[in-house]
Amino acid sequence: MSFKDTLESGKFVVTAEVGPPKGTDISVMKHDMELLKGKLDAVNVTDNQSAVMRICSLAVCKLVLEHGLEPILQMTCRDRNRIALQSDLLGASVLGIRNVLCMTGDHVSAGDHKSARPVYDIESVQLLQVVNALNNGKDMSGNDLKGATSFFQGAVVTPESNPLEPQLMKFEKKVKAGANFFQTQAIYNIDKFKEFMAFARQFPVKVMAGLVVLKSAGMANFLNNFVPGIKVPQDLIDEMKAAGKEKALDTGLNITARHIRQLKDEKICDGVHIMAIGMEDKVPTILERAGLL
Amino acid sequence: MIITKKKDRSKLLKTLEGYNSFYLIGCSECASLCGTGNEEALKEMAEDLKAQGKTVTGMIVPKTGCQTLGTKVELKKDKDALDKADAIVVMSCGAGTQSAVEIYPDKAVYPSNDTSFLGNMTRFQMFDERCSLCGDCVIDKTGGICPVTNCPKGLLNGPCGGTKDGNCEVSDEIKCAWVRIYERQKKLGELDKMKEILPPKDWSAKQGPHKLYTRADAAEGDKKSKDKK
Ligand code: SF4
Ligand code: SF4
Repeated sequence: MSFKDTLESGKFVVTAEVGPPKGTDISVMKHDMELLKGKLDAVNVTDNQSAVMRICSLAVCKLVLEHGLEPILQMTCRDRNRIALQSDLLGASVLGIRNVLCMTGDHVSAGDHKSARPVYDIESVQLLQVVNALNNGKDMSGNDLKGATSFFQGAVVTPESNPLEPQLMKFEKKVKAGANFFQTQAIYNIDKFKEFMAFARQFPVKVMAGLVVLKSAGMANFLNNFVPGIKVPQDLIDEMKAAGKEKALDTGLNITARHIRQLKDEKICDGVHIMAIGMEDKVPTILERAGLL
Repeated sequence: MIITKKKDRSKLLKTLEGYNSFYLIGCSECASLCGTGNEEALKEMAEDLKAQGKTVTGMIVPKTGCQTLGTKVELKKDKDALDKADAIVVMSCGAGTQSAVEIYPDKAVYPSNDTSFLGNMTRFQMFDERCSLCGDCVIDKTGGICPVTNCPKGLLNGPCGGTKDGNCEVSDEIKCAWVRIYERQKKLGELDKMKEILPPKDWSAKQGPHKLYTRADAAEGDKKSKDKK
């Protein structure tokens, strides 16, 4: 069953990420894909994540397809103007890529080509509208397409942003613009997430909770201090500390697995999106411990 | 006003190496407020050139450097000194520099400044960028605060996920433009405007070079607004 059908059937879905490598050596990525095959409903392919130049997400999505997994093409507005974005979307469509996640994208100042000129010709909300138009056989200028696309489109939201209200307003705009599903920024506080879901449930969209695996107490502190919109609660930091160096990663995997179980058992959201950041090979372990394999 | 910064002086002197005599042109408007094209700045430049063994045949701080017509009239008065100079150094913005290029098509003209942005002077010689001349103003929808300029991503539909405690993803030192817009619209009871999806920008209005904007265009604008009433 396709990712779209699975999500719409009400089954609890699981996605993870594949980060395209920087360079043409794709052996590790291939190995990860083999490992993840059959265990996920779809795989996100990041688009020059953190504005660091890597293999393009479109090419890697095609590799993902060839490896028997279903890709979600992440598309940011940072590096392409509206002509290039639409052209890539048409390209993705003919390559058999059916899911697209529309995002604005981290600013170039975060990446490894700081002197680049960022584009941002359009932005996430507008990109969602563009995908809608392409699905309806029209380009952004209203020209007819010879053959429409049929994308299932997603967007992102940061449920722990401060201040929150403008983010919620933007969430609503994304729904209006045609988002079918959302993947959230990493969440760690399930009770707080429930509050967000109470808001999100007013809208006819599916929401997948974003989960980032903790590797150490230090990483938790780093996320709190430097990554906007992520808040690791003190009890989790304490749990990581108590585990000590040797057990830290194992404990991190357990925490993620525990959260997945709770999110699923209490039917809090429609699925999870696991961001293992360089530890894609640990995803099967997490799924096993969460009782999903 | 147009914000200018002095070019690195030793690099500029290197550029000017091949010439022996100079005429200096400043500007009494923006470049004077920036301290890059006022009388004092011109005198300093003259000193530096003299120290290199060069001659300065004359200097002027015209009323408005980018007002080509008026500047032409003012320069006429100093024709001799200008004729004697091998090159002109213009100490205004890039527009003022090109006035001189237009008035003196046969003479070398060099800028002494880098032109940075259109800004507001918020304190003495402290400037804030507020408008990037996009040609299609949207601040009627955004509480009078320009996201095209103040948000590094130029977002038109709300904050990105990178905003951190009200500050911008790009720098902790600037407040997120969209948090400012949100706070202002909330205060004014205009949050409804933030709920409206703004369409992609029409960048064709920004793409240069622009056609001439004439008196007739201004009259046309007046007529249109009267018709609307
Ligand atoms: S929207 Fe355009 S014209 Fe209006 S203030 Fe911003 S940059 Fe200037
Ligand atoms: S944090 Fe705010 S100002 Fe900065 S890029 Fe994001 S939306 Fe724009």
